[in-house]
Amino acid sequence: MALGFIRAGHHHGDGEVNPKEIIYEHLGDAYGWELPFCHDVRIPLPIIVKGTDGWHCFSSSRVTDGGTYAGFTIAEGGDYNGKLVQLQPDGSQYRPLDLSVTKNVAAIFVAALLVVLMVMHVRNWYKRHGMTAPRKGTALLELIVDYVYTDTIRPIMGKEAPKYAPYLLTVFFFILTMNLLGLVVIFPGGANLTGNLAVTMTLALITFFIINFTGTREYWKEIFWPDVPMALKCPVPMMPLIEVLGVFTKPIALMIRLFANMMGGHMVVLVLMLLIFIFTSMFGAVVGGVTTVFSLAFALFMLALDTLVSFIQAYVFTILSAIFISMAHVEPHGHAAEQTKE
Amino acid sequence: MELFTPQFGLVFWMFIAFLALYFVLAKYAWPFIIKSMEERADLIDKGVVYAQQAKTHLDNARAEADKLLGEARQQQAEIIRDANKMRTQIIEDARGEAAVEAKKVSDAALLSIDQARKESEKQLRAEMSEIALQIAEKVIRKNVDNDQAQRELVEKYLNEVETKN
Repeated sequence: MALGFIRAGHHHGDGEVNPKEIIYEHLGDAYGWELPFCHDVRIPLPIIVKGTDGWHCFSSSRVTDGGTYAGFTIAEGGDYNGKLVQLQPDGSQYRPLDLSVTKNVAAIFVAALLVVLMVMHVRNWYKRHGMTAPRKGTALLELIVDYVYTDTIRPIMGKEAPKYAPYLLTVFFFILTMNLLGLVVIFPGGANLTGNLAVTMTLALITFFIINFTGTREYWKEIFWPDVPMALKCPVPMMPLIEVLGVFTKPIALMIRLFANMMGGHMVVLVLMLLIFIFTSMFGAVVGGVTTVFSLAFALFMLALDTLVSFIQAYVFTILSAIFISMAHVEPHGHAAEQTKE
Repeated sequence: MELFTPQFGLVFWMFIAFLALYFVLAKYAWPFIIKSMEERADLIDKGVVYAQQAKTHLDNARAEADKLLGEARQQQAEIIRDANKMRTQIIEDARGEAAVEAKKVSDAALLSIDQARKESEKQLRAEMSEIALQIAEKVIRKNVDNDQAQRELVEKYLNEVETKN
């Protein structure tokens, strides 16, 4: 990682360190995937774009080093900094519909593949060994599955647990794998997936859809005509307004929580590392050397903490999804509630 | 700020990847894994109950075995006592019978001895009288005329002798 920084430093500013640029480069997406410890060598990835003249598909290696291919190039600065743009005849930049398999997309595929391999491994154990208890790594996976399903999903969802468990377990393992892959600094990790708003937004959107498409009549009634004194819902629909807001804040909270936690962890480690270079350039080698020791120690601590956070955030996303989904499946209140209302 | 503006391409691929992952795992893995885990949990629960029952059975069986063993010991002792009694009885019976038999045998022997003695006495008497007669004949041949009268005399003396004995 440090080596990458040194090279990055060399790249961008003739010895000058530009922390902001380095941080965003490491947290952001990219066309092409850097090989470990070689800032210049990138694995080319397919670029799929729909420009003004239709669909284009070509290798990222044609544009990553400032090249232009079929009118497409990667913008430097401006509104679309670091993104693929199509140069228009009048000199302006047009941002095409970009479905490229970027570094993050490739990392998503890697994570998905890893999840499939892990889960199928557990499944195959049961296929082959029947009732025998799994051993070693399989046992660890089974322990996690058991913890998430038996100790979390089932108590929350009750009878509905088997129906939603596949979704919730998939979410948990997918987020966990993406979190942990993000902590691995070199290929095939190193992509800041769950610290990317697009990824957490997609996950939160799916939970949002499940909550609202499977919600019962009672759930909608409680939103638009809640069980509160009349003054609070008519003529000014104050409570309905709050409830409707709640429908959207729940998934947004899910999205922001995961995103902020993971990105924050990454950013702290990056900043700690950059401190070495900033202090060295400001105060000289001795201060830089001392900073190195502290920075490395703290970065190591942060990475250990992030490993814990990876589990916690995956778990929190899953448990909150389970709670929100089961909350949308409310049944009408019993007679006691009816009587108090009358 | 790229980090805060979700790129459509990433959302698109994320959505596809997640759905694909979900459908593969929901179809082939999760239900099977959950079912297997629950089955195994049930199996283990049943095993524990079974083991507890087995332990109770074993304890009961041990108590029963001890009881049976005690009864068997008692019976054994009784049988031995009976056998001893019977042995003594048999020996005593045998002894009694043997005594009776022995008495019979000795009585018979005594009888035959008595008979034999009488027989021999008779014979001896005959021989004695013969010898005595011969002796007397030789001693007092001349004085004896009537053989018959002499024989009676001798007989008379012999009787005397015999009663003396």
